[in-house]
Amino acid sequence: MINIDSYAYSNHLKKIHPGEKSLFAMITLAVCLTSPTVITPLIVLALMAGLIIFKAGIPGRVFLKLLLVPFSFLVLSVLTIAFSISTDPSGFWIAETINGLTIGIRYPDLNTAAQLFLRSLGAVSCLYFLALTTPMTEIITVLHKLRVPVIITELMLLIYRFIFVFMETAITIKRAQSSRLGYVSLKISYRSLSRLFSALLGKVFVKSQELYNAMAARCYTGEIKVLTKKYPVNLRNYLLIIGLELPLILINLLGRR
Amino acid sequence: MPEIILEAFNLDYSYPDGTKALRTINLKIEKGEKLTILGSNGAGKSTLFMQFNGLYRPNSGSIKYQGQAISYKNKPLIELRKKVGIVFQDPDSQLFSSSVYQDISFGPLNLGLSDQEVEARVDQALIDTETTDLEYKPTHLLSYGQKKRVSIAGVLAMEPEVIIFDEPTAGLDPRHAREFMQLLKNLSDEGKTIIISTHDVDLAYSWSDRLVIMSSGEIIAQGEPGELFLQPELIEQADLALPWLLEIYCGLVEKGWFPTSTPLPKTREELLLILPLASMNISPIPKDSK
Ligand SMILES: Nc1ncnc2c1ncn2[C@@H]1O[C@H](COP(=O)(O)OP(=O)(O)OP(=O)(O)O)[C@@H](O)[C@H]1O
Ligand SMILES: [Mg+2]
Repeated sequence: MINIDSYAYSNHLKKIHPGEKSLFAMITLAVCLTSPTVITPLIVLALMAGLIIFKAGIPGRVFLKLLLVPFSFLVLSVLTIAFSISTDPSGFWIAETINGLTIGIRYPDLNTAAQLFLRSLGAVSCLYFLALTTPMTEIITVLHKLRVPVIITELMLLIYRFIFVFMETAITIKRAQSSRLGYVSLKISYRSLSRLFSALLGKVFVKSQELYNAMAARCYTGEIKVLTKKYPVNLRNYLLIIGLELPLILINLLGRR
Repeated sequence: MPEIILEAFNLDYSYPDGTKALRTINLKIEKGEKLTILGSNGAGKSTLFMQFNGLYRPNSGSIKYQGQAISYKNKPLIELRKKVGIVFQDPDSQLFSSSVYQDISFGPLNLGLSDQEVEARVDQALIDTETTDLEYKPTHLLSYGQKKRVSIAGVLAMEPEVIIFDEPTAGLDPRHAREFMQLLKNLSDEGKTIIISTHDVDLAYSWSDRLVIMSSGEIIAQGEPGELFLQPELIEQADLALPWLLEIYCGLVEKGWFPTSTPLPKTREELLLILPLASMNISPIPKDSK
């Protein structure tokens, strides 16, 4: 997760307007999910992989690894859809019959499974595109502009910041403990870990108090108002989005028999 | 008579857990002065700073801004905080946003300025603290000193009358510490009142108009830096050390390189200026003739 985050700040597409990237990712996601065939998801997957690796300059290895995260989960669920067990051996495409029970794959099921698999992978690649190229703070700003309730965007802003503060604290405590042999045996590990959690809890409390004080010192009045660096709006990008999405939508429509 | 801008009057403060952090503090701060607060760890410096813009409320006594005891109601507190800014000791508790730009824009936006004005101020603060190239980095990937500079920028952008810095140079490398002191000089020339706390005695000695020394919640001395540092008992009591300039100066006077009446050098240059040249071939003044 930290890795994704660092790439979001250092990729070649970081200077592109976050609204354009979000729009592109979301439309493609919708097109991919509503596709009746496997062609659109395949194109989407290739498109996103190309953009992430060649345009954003993120190593292909990283993208592959990220795709593998949902992979095992996807394979499992796809297998349960593809395989069926029945007492009636008819209609199977590949099957094995043992003691009157037929285990196998029916052709329409295989089709559904493949479609589901590719659609999910395509959708995931859209989200990765957004996550790898757009910093969280920018996404929050986009949500704010889309009139998502302030309470949600403010919470996201603070939570996002504090995930890192606490992770750093936890890592520091863990390191301090290990360097004093806090994790040499299972029993000691349990004790150290419980201390880590209680220390962290105390920190959360103190830190939140300090944060409130620091914000109050800067005239906080109950609403977090911030400015975000302006990004240039690029008409070409909008045309590009339309140019890419229209054919995909067309393919979807043609595939709907 | 110089104008008193901030004043602590008979201030007492205990933390909820019973720690008596401040005891009968009386301190007057003049408009436009450069004040340094020295004191060992736990002396109460940070606690005192929190009193100055109403973040903590004293148990007894009061804080006065321009002669008026401050009110702890919402509106007047905000007015006070527009005038008195604090840069906290720990940048991690001050930075609330992961975006450098967003964090710096927070304060000036709360002043009710226009977006354009805020942008101009943020850009200026980024330049003043040399953080322009960090603008696109998230705060969690910054080093400690970089975070410190961003948190300083966040308060500078509000342009308060009185700026309080809690250990501003701790964690800064020598170059950035020096540049920060230059920034403080510029702010001071603009007429801002500046209060800092530090453990750096050299800095305290060279930079400040006036020193305040705290020990276990009390002010044990205040006055001219030269005057205070030449009192060995005081230095001992407050766990301080002598600035190197004074140490050398005292040594040279001791060895008779110049008379005791020589004014104290405030900077390295001043010390070099009063040092006699070796080519002048003067031998040390004999000890008994002094
Ligand atoms: N939130 C708190 N609750 C209880 N006691 C506290 C709290 N914060 C500080 N103290 C105590 O108050 C006293 C003064 O602390 P303070 O932080 O003001 O010291 P300081 O002079 O800033 O020290 P340092 O140089 O280490 O920053 C200390 O004894 C400290 O233990
Ligand atoms: Mg302190």
